[in-house]
Amino acid sequence: MRTKSSAKLKPCWWDALVVAAVLLLAGGVFFLFYLSNGSGSDHLTAVITHKGEEVERVDLTSLTADKTVTIDGTYGMTILLSTDGAQVISAQCPTQDCVHTGKISRAGQSIVCLPEQVVIQLVGAKSDIDVVIG
Amino acid sequence: MKRLFAILLAVAMLFSLTACGDSSYTTDIFAMDTVMKLTANGANAQAGVEAAVREINLLESQLSNTIASSEISQLNAGGSGTVSEETAQLLTAALTYAQKTDGAFDMTIAPVVSAWGITTDTPRVPSQEEITSLLQLVGSQHVTVSGTAVTLDAGCSVDLGGIAKGYASDRIAAIFAENGVTSGVVSLGGNVYACGMKDRKTGWRVAIQDPKDSANYAAVVTLSNQFAVTSGGYQRYFTAEDGTVYQHIIDPATGYPVKSDLTSVTIIGTNGTMCDAYSTALYVMGQEKAIAYWKAHSDEFDLVLINAGGQVLYTPNLEGNLESVEGSSYAYQVIR
Amino acid sequence: MKLTTRQLALCAVLTALALGLSYMEGLFPVSLLIPLPGIKLGLANIVTVFALYELGVWPALAILVARCLLGSVFAGNASALIFSMMGGVLAMLVMIVLRRLRHLSIFGVSIGGAAAHNIGQIGAAIITLGSTAPVGYLPVLLVVALFTGALTGFVVSLLFRAMKNVHLMHE
Repeated sequence: MRTKSSAKLKPCWWDALVVAAVLLLAGGVFFLFYLSNGSGSDHLTAVITHKGEEVERVDLTSLTADKTVTIDGTYGMTILLSTDGAQVISAQCPTQDCVHTGKISRAGQSIVCLPEQVVIQLVGAKSDIDVVIG
Repeated sequence: MKRLFAILLAVAMLFSLTACGDSSYTTDIFAMDTVMKLTANGANAQAGVEAAVREINLLESQLSNTIASSEISQLNAGGSGTVSEETAQLLTAALTYAQKTDGAFDMTIAPVVSAWGITTDTPRVPSQEEITSLLQLVGSQHVTVSGTAVTLDAGCSVDLGGIAKGYASDRIAAIFAENGVTSGVVSLGGNVYACGMKDRKTGWRVAIQDPKDSANYAAVVTLSNQFAVTSGGYQRYFTAEDGTVYQHIIDPATGYPVKSDLTSVTIIGTNGTMCDAYSTALYVMGQEKAIAYWKAHSDEFDLVLINAGGQVLYTPNLEGNLESVEGSSYAYQVIR
Repeated sequence: MKLTTRQLALCAVLTALALGLSYMEGLFPVSLLIPLPGIKLGLANIVTVFALYELGVWPALAILVARCLLGSVFAGNASALIFSMMGGVLAMLVMIVLRRLRHLSIFGVSIGGAAAHNIGQIGAAIITLGSTAPVGYLPVLLVVALFTGALTGFVVSLLFRAMKNVHLMHE
């Protein structure tokens, strides 16, 4: 075990390696998560999950009018879906993080309410087709 | 130091448990005159798919018009006979659909279909007299089903081609359930059965072919525990010497290939046999009657129509599910 | 591993300190500035890093677990436990490894620990919500970890410098 006196208290160049590793990880996750979803893709789909179960999946680009989704639960919230994105317009949870997030409009973005366990995620529907009929 | 390594090793081994993923099993077969693909996920995937394949082969041997030893072929040849209980039930279902759709779906169209031979190697255009006389043999009144005994009027014959794959998909749904398969997708020619969800989050994405362009899709729907069947004239047709195109769906009322204002009809529902029968029937009916029929039976199925005017029309339940396809020249509209 | 009474008392004091810091940072509404659930300054990690260097692996681990358990009891929130445990334990493991790399200073170790802490929290969010959506927050949280980790390292280095002549452990 290292004794107190041998702890290096001044930052040194080797620390930069750790910083670089963290930045690399951040960049990697960013690319994998956001860009592989096809940002700005034609078919934004909003997927709403509540307590791990998918409760709504709406193709935003095919909406003819704004759609409201209400989640009932311990806290509850109201979600507004429009052709260009999704946002939580009101919620009863204590921290209101979900409302503060504002409107999300790109594939990969999400709004999360931890107390109610609700996730609203936008996915680009460039996902593969499983089967073709016709 | 040793203890530290032991702990880290234990933690690392815990992470390896995350590799317990799903196994998947797929097989392609050729049956009922078409290509079929069956996919299932999970521990029972292989068992479920193999059982389904056995069932398909069994059904084909019982129902096919082109296999001489099948129950249907023998019935057609002999004019009467005893069939298995399932076949009797299927014949009864076919008669029910014929009655519900006012004959737009009719299995007794078989003699007319044979005369045209559009799906065979020798298609031809029968004369009007031939068609008129053959039409006498068409109609549900010529078939009597009593228990497992079936009688056909003289000269009449039945063709279950418009309903057999739908029925097969119903049987596969049951077989998957029996084998504990909760996720899978099966495509029997143009008949799809989507079992459960593809993974924890997504249903099965089914693309509807663009009738005008085989390389493109007209729309995409996401299905879970549902059947979908598409019928369209573009699927099979022959071009006569004078250039006229005759597609394979015959109108039981006229004896001629349907000249529909629709290019494709897709039925989505929870009964495969019904979806199969309705897809043909509504194609025969044409847009106006098809929509009227749906309105009268809107709790039975959902509908996607593609018409010659370049529109994709779909029922309200599919709003938020059906996705338009970028670059397709179709106008998408909800049927109200 | 035998603890002297003095060591035990020190652990208890540090646990209390960690709880206090944890409560204090909860008063800071960081999520107003950055609307991410679970974003924290990570002040309680100061104690974790300090304990790791001063007392060693096992006491630091004990303090961490005690802080998480008591913290969730005080907050009256059982799900907070999985978040603080996954974040804290992962951070601890990473820091234990990084500390053995002689070339790294306390700053490198703290930054690594802060990053691991946030990864653990995102992992907890994924498990709780049953969705991979939280991964989208990870890039931002990792960059924030660079700063919170540096801050933690800085504070602990100040502590050690000030304590140069203090012998906490009577060694």
